[in-house]
Amino acid sequence: MGKNRPIKFRILELFLDGEEHWNYEIVSKIQQEYNMQGNYGRDSINFDIIELASGGMLKDVEQKVDEEGIYKKDFLLHKYVITDFGKVRGSDACVRYM
Amino acid sequence: MDLKALKAQESKRKISKGYMWALFCAVFWGIWYLPGTVVWVLNPFDEMYGAIAETSGDAVSLVVTAALITAFNALTVMLALMLWNGVLGKFGELGRTLKEFHPCSKWFFLASIFGGPVAILGSFMAMGFIGGAFAAVAALLYPVIGSVLAYYWYGEKISKRAATGIVIIILGGITIFGGGVITEIAAGGVPWIGYLGGLMAAAGWGIEGAIAGKGLDISEPDVGLTLRFLGENIIWWIIIVPILAIVGFPMYSYAFQAFEPLTLLVLIFAGITFGFCYVCWYKSFPLIGVGRGQGIGNLYGLCAIIFIFLFFGDVPEWTILIGGTLCVIGSFVMFTEETAALETLRGE
Repeated sequence: MGKNRPIKFRILELFLDGEEHWNYEIVSKIQQEYNMQGNYGRDSINFDIIELASGGMLKDVEQKVDEEGIYKKDFLLHKYVITDFGKVRGSDACVRYM
Repeated sequence: MDLKALKAQESKRKISKGYMWALFCAVFWGIWYLPGTVVWVLNPFDEMYGAIAETSGDAVSLVVTAALITAFNALTVMLALMLWNGVLGKFGELGRTLKEFHPCSKWFFLASIFGGPVAILGSFMAMGFIGGAFAAVAALLYPVIGSVLAYYWYGEKISKRAATGIVIIILGGITIFGGGVITEIAAGGVPWIGYLGGLMAAAGWGIEGAIAGKGLDISEPDVGLTLRFLGENIIWWIIIVPILAIVGFPMYSYAFQAFEPLTLLVLIFAGITFGFCYVCWYKSFPLIGVGRGQGIGNLYGLCAIIFIFLFFGDVPEWTILIGGTLCVIGSFVMFTEETAALETLRGE
């Protein structure tokens, strides 16, 4: 499910469980689902998450420095949770699956 | 580097990226006035204007010719954007987003109605009946409408500082073109249809930005933008141009004549600049918000004057220099906004 939907819909859908998720978890899941391997795919998905956060749909709740290089070494890792506005927009967009 | 410093650096990078996109938008938008002006004196549009004016009058001829030029503009913009999406590898996402009519595409098609036949045609009406100066002044007011709509509709925050910046930029725009407007008003009669056009330009672009923001927040800007121009092409080529042809205007015979090298080159140049001005515009919205994106984009007034001066040799008046300075000051008021306040653009 969700595979044929726009990437941002799928990202919101993943967050609709109400849990907190790290950006690298979401990015690698989407990379797998949409067959977007490589650095370009990774950065473009991460940018989608950033846009959703600056649009007020996701909230940045925790950060840590990527010391081991699980995602991008010495860059910040972000943990997000969906906001009420995100839930409204998300369930609006994902209504087919609710 | 510690967590806090990295965090501040990252947020700063995001916001400066948003402003950079908005500034690129202003530059491309300014350049667009070069092919946009030149195309009027090229055939078949020059001939078309003369031929229709003889039978239907200047006013009708101007609107009909403007409609065909705008239709070709939409077509070349679409071509430039298809290339752009191809390079970015986003055709898959384009198809996925197009299918989502309810949450996404609907908003882009609505945006294209306000952007194309309302704002762009309105601009041409204002240019034709009153003059380019008035058209530009009227259009410069669109961020006010956009920001107010975004504020009431989906609660986007507008800080006092951002509002101040927007006001200064608008004052600059009014100063730049003000001299010309005063002359035209002093010249006599009030051409109401031109004022309606000016109102259409400001309202159309303002509403377009606010509507597009609604579909844009859950889709990708490059993709959303292409769908917005797909909508505009449908409106022009499937609805308006055929209707004008049925009514009796020789739309198709002139449309086919547009395929000559120089005209095509100018149209493609217009498509690329207009297309990328929109790409940059839409990319700035999720990062800095509709109001700020539109505010910085408004520097197009200054850019247009610089490019027109460089290429056509029209020397700017003193009002233009003062107005241009105001535009730059206004943008800097917005630039220097505390980044912390921008971290989340919307209330929770």
